[in-house]
Amino acid sequence: MAPLNPYTYIQCPCSDSASLGRPSDATSPTSAEADDEDNTFDPRAPRANFSLYPLEYLLYCEDCHQIRCPRCIAEEIATYFCPSCLFEVPSSNLKSEGNRCTRSCFQCPICIGPLSVTSIETPPSDPNLLAPDRAATQHSTYSLICSYCNWSSTEIGIQFDKPNSIHAQLAKIRNGGASRLTAKERKERRKELSHRGGEAAVAAAAAAAAASETSGGQDMDLETQFANLKLFYNSQLADPNAGDNGFSSLGDLGFSSPSSLSRIMNLYTGGKLHDPRAKSKLGAMREAITADEGLLEPDLDESSLISQLHRSDFLDTASSTQVCSQPPNLGEPHLHGAARFNSSLRPAPYLLRTKRSKRCPVCRHIISKPEAKVQTTRFRIRLVAGSYIPSISIRRLNLPGSNGPGAPAILGDLLEPLKPVHFLLTFKNPIFESLKVTLGAPAKTPGRFPSKVTVLCPQFDIDANTDVWDEALKDNDRESSGRSRRRAGTESQFQVEVGKIWERGRNWVSIVVEVVPASLKLEQGQDLLKEDEDVLEIPMFVRIEWEVENGGDDATTGSGRDKDQKEKRELAYWCVLGLGRIKQG
Amino acid sequence: MSGLGSGAVAAGSTPLPHRSVANIRSPHTSSNVNPSTPASSSRPLPSSSFGSPSSLRADEDILILELGTRKLQIGFAGDACPRGTVWFTPSQLRRVGDFRDWSSESKTNVDWKTKKVTGERWWSRDHELWEYDVREADLGLIGDKVERALREALTRYMLIDSRPRRMVCVLPSGLPLPMLSAVLDSLFSRLQPPTVSLLSLPVALTVGAGVRSSLIVDLGWRETVITSVCEFREVNTSRSVRGGRLLVEQTHKLLAKHLPENQKKKADNTSDNAEDYDLSFEECNDIATRMVWCKPHLSSPAAPKSGKGLPTLHEQDESDVAAAGSSTEALKTVRIPLRSCRSPTTIELPWEALAEPSENTFFDSQYTESSFDDHELPLPLLVYRSLLHLPLDVRALCMSRIIFTGGCASVLGLRGRIFGEVSKLIEERGWDGVQGKGADQMRANPKLRGKKGSRQASSGPKGVTSPSEAVENREQDGVWHDAANTTHDVCPVEEQLKRGQDTRPRVQGRMRAIESVGAWSGASLIAHLKAAPVSTIEREAWLQYGAAGASKPSEVDQKSARQSLGPGGLIRGSAASNSWTLGVWGMN
Ligand SMILES: [Zn+2]
Ligand SMILES: [Zn+2]
Ligand SMILES: [Zn+2]
Ligand SMILES: [Zn+2]
Repeated sequence: MAPLNPYTYIQCPCSDSASLGRPSDATSPTSAEADDEDNTFDPRAPRANFSLYPLEYLLYCEDCHQIRCPRCIAEEIATYFCPSCLFEVPSSNLKSEGNRCTRSCFQCPICIGPLSVTSIETPPSDPNLLAPDRAATQHSTYSLICSYCNWSSTEIGIQFDKPNSIHAQLAKIRNGGASRLTAKERKERRKELSHRGGEAAVAAAAAAAAASETSGGQDMDLETQFANLKLFYNSQLADPNAGDNGFSSLGDLGFSSPSSLSRIMNLYTGGKLHDPRAKSKLGAMREAITADEGLLEPDLDESSLISQLHRSDFLDTASSTQVCSQPPNLGEPHLHGAARFNSSLRPAPYLLRTKRSKRCPVCRHIISKPEAKVQTTRFRIRLVAGSYIPSISIRRLNLPGSNGPGAPAILGDLLEPLKPVHFLLTFKNPIFESLKVTLGAPAKTPGRFPSKVTVLCPQFDIDANTDVWDEALKDNDRESSGRSRRRAGTESQFQVEVGKIWERGRNWVSIVVEVVPASLKLEQGQDLLKEDEDVLEIPMFVRIEWEVENGGDDATTGSGRDKDQKEKRELAYWCVLGLGRIKQG
Repeated sequence: MSGLGSGAVAAGSTPLPHRSVANIRSPHTSSNVNPSTPASSSRPLPSSSFGSPSSLRADEDILILELGTRKLQIGFAGDACPRGTVWFTPSQLRRVGDFRDWSSESKTNVDWKTKKVTGERWWSRDHELWEYDVREADLGLIGDKVERALREALTRYMLIDSRPRRMVCVLPSGLPLPMLSAVLDSLFSRLQPPTVSLLSLPVALTVGAGVRSSLIVDLGWRETVITSVCEFREVNTSRSVRGGRLLVEQTHKLLAKHLPENQKKKADNTSDNAEDYDLSFEECNDIATRMVWCKPHLSSPAAPKSGKGLPTLHEQDESDVAAAGSSTEALKTVRIPLRSCRSPTTIELPWEALAEPSENTFFDSQYTESSFDDHELPLPLLVYRSLLHLPLDVRALCMSRIIFTGGCASVLGLRGRIFGEVSKLIEERGWDGVQGKGADQMRANPKLRGKKGSRQASSGPKGVTSPSEAVENREQDGVWHDAANTTHDVCPVEEQLKRGQDTRPRVQGRMRAIESVGAWSGASLIAHLKAAPVSTIEREAWLQYGAAGASKPSEVDQKSARQSLGPGGLIRGSAASNSWTLGVWGMN
């Protein structure tokens, strides 16, 4: 079992703690009858994992005096960029060009390493060609190569004529090397046709399409099928012959207008047609009939693919992870089972990334703003929660009588069941006001194996985080006056006292928590231990109170109040302290 | 308070009651406040928190979201394919900052064993969004899972800010209401879209194939669902547990059997403990998608392999494979490395054995037809019966528009096999679904046939429907009533079509498979064309009604009379169960 370092998680108050502790129980929608027991936050409930964060993940709104987690924050995009070439991408490109880098940045389909463009050296048949000047004039081709696993795009039959704009070149090549028309090219070709020959050409195209349909439309890739369908539906809806068929008005119907639903997509759901006109409208739109309109008959005979699988080694097939990290391949017809072969994989252009500003959703103040430059990871503004709420660090205490004399408490040691053990919690105050801290923890941890918990000193004050230079001076004072005697001495010399803090420093306070770990013995018929069920976690409710000078930006809201009066603030949240693993058996 | 009424009516005209989703909501209202926490900490976000001002809306982008049991897909309306796919995995259930799953990337770990997860289906459970068993489900957890996966998709793939955007949600039509409700709760309260529109998977697939009617064969994860769609309406649904999950379990069974440790003890003990696994789900799932295939030929156990090709289509190719199968090549073995077992090893198993999992999962041909329960019918039979249950004209349309979809559609050979066996069943039995002695007598004596049969016989492309079949259907399938009633609606439409300017005949009455661009892409088309989906829910109405619905059951009761969706409407089987629908989500 891996050792476990003590940890702290904080539950963002935005989560609905009332419904977290228990599984959904449809019969009791009201929580009124819930007693205290039920209100204890259970960190082991599956839902708890969705609202707990390490302190470093949390931000803080200075105006609302509230913690903000990734779930309760509004985001704005500051920059889009490619993580490989670090080029910034204008936001307008995103809609049209997609979410991946369109330069020459690709990831290896096998190992996700970066691919580089390399020219393919074709072994010259005539040794005289080896002369350098001749080689330069020689027409060379290029491939994408992975320097980690040596994968090459030639393995999927793809080579490039130019070393640049690989993305555009790749879009026109299918695996195996066959070329394809991109959607844009198809569109242009269609336009050209209708321009040149008008009706006749269109008819010819339709005939050609019909011909390709009889051959099964095998060549029709997804992008084309989608484009054809789009075109077909648009033409159906705009058919001038259809006259007042109503479908021409389809475009006017708001997408969100509920009344339009029935008329179009779901004509029969009611069992009755309440709009008699709707009936006649229905006849107007027909089904797609040809491949040109998007109708495609698949070839259900996969015997050649089965033969291919038959000939293949296990490693000739792509792992689920490899398949999942592939961008959708619009250049092929539906791959279905063919997607499993390594030969179907394609180089994956890097996904673009963003830098985001974060706002408080309530007051809309910016609480995090990155530096605009792609290359830096700095922030212009970043209000991290750690600068506003106390951090909690956990250390196991070695006291005489609890672990036996002289037994050192090693980090990650298993906790002995049923033997009292002490932990030192150190609260550090980051703000310039002194804090009043009130802790609440259930006497028994929730779950199947309740451990006993006693917070020896649940209420205490922490001094303000004063200037470091002041502190240095004070520290000297203290050192000489012997105030921090405990730091020097060994822990085992001191007794744990109820109601007393263990130790106090400039802006921190240590207190002791006594825990009696539960026994993990399973009774007959009990389910086995779940993952991490042996981890001793205690839920703790933390309430901090402090006073601020009523001035500054709060002056306007505090109308009528004396400016000199201090204003009380408070913040409360659940946190989870992970203390260690309990020994099993 | 006006609750539902206000929301729906304000939006324009009077919607059909069953299309208003505003009056369902999961019992968990997000406004429940923990009385023990101080007011300052549990202050709910104001409803305008993400900026209702329309200037803050990103109006031009409609997000299309498709939710399945194992993955979520999202993208912009009008695009040909989704921009991002996020699979549901155990690592999503972990706390933020807990990177254990990533650190142990080396797949040689046997960590999954030390998890000691218990409970039903623990082996695969954390790879799924939901189980359709409402009693077992933690609805709040489903909402959390959807939210987390969606945020990952939005951040990684969509690259958009958090301005509210309208959403279209593509959902399986069998999704129970409480789960639909949990999803909507999560979407509305956490991502704040001004509206969410609902589209059913079969309808989206049908649009994505360019047709108006279809037979959707969804070879899904939890189950296989056959849905008949007629004129964009789902008229009949039948399901079988034979799906991806079973396939992966069968794959595990096959692999475990070949483990050296099990080969030894095979002799003395063959305990079939379903809860006992020797290999991780991840590994078996991986191997199932990579190596498992399906024999294309009909497998009648005793029959020789050659000369028994499919009665239709690709006879020549089939016999090729059959020939290959009987040649020495068939003796080829496949080596598969296994890493999640006690000691990593490489097993060697015959190529033919890799067809066993799909054989057992989808066909089970060694058993007789009568030995199957309705929910475990072999797939060809399931498809055949689905067609059989349809009114003649609808059947004629559907059988010529068969759309295979779902994850198991990628099992090599499976689509062709099902198609071939269904064709054979039709050839053998026609559309007289009744088998056995009594049925033979019925056939022999036309006098025993009722009037109904003869009436229908006149319009059908093939065969007749006997009254006994109709009775049987009525008993078996509650949906039948619906379907039967709609035939009268369908007929005028058919005529309309014939009278319309488009005189090209529609393909009908012969078996034909067609390809859909997919449900997500179909929904993208629908949204792009600005055709409205089955149901559109406004955020305000949902949140408003939700709060009131939880506290005023009497009001809900009143509504239920009108809406046929009682307070118990969250649980199926309320008094008005035969008439209430919520789009398709009310139908079953
Ligand atoms: Zn939060
Ligand atoms: Zn780049
Ligand atoms: Zn590589
Ligand atoms: Zn704020």
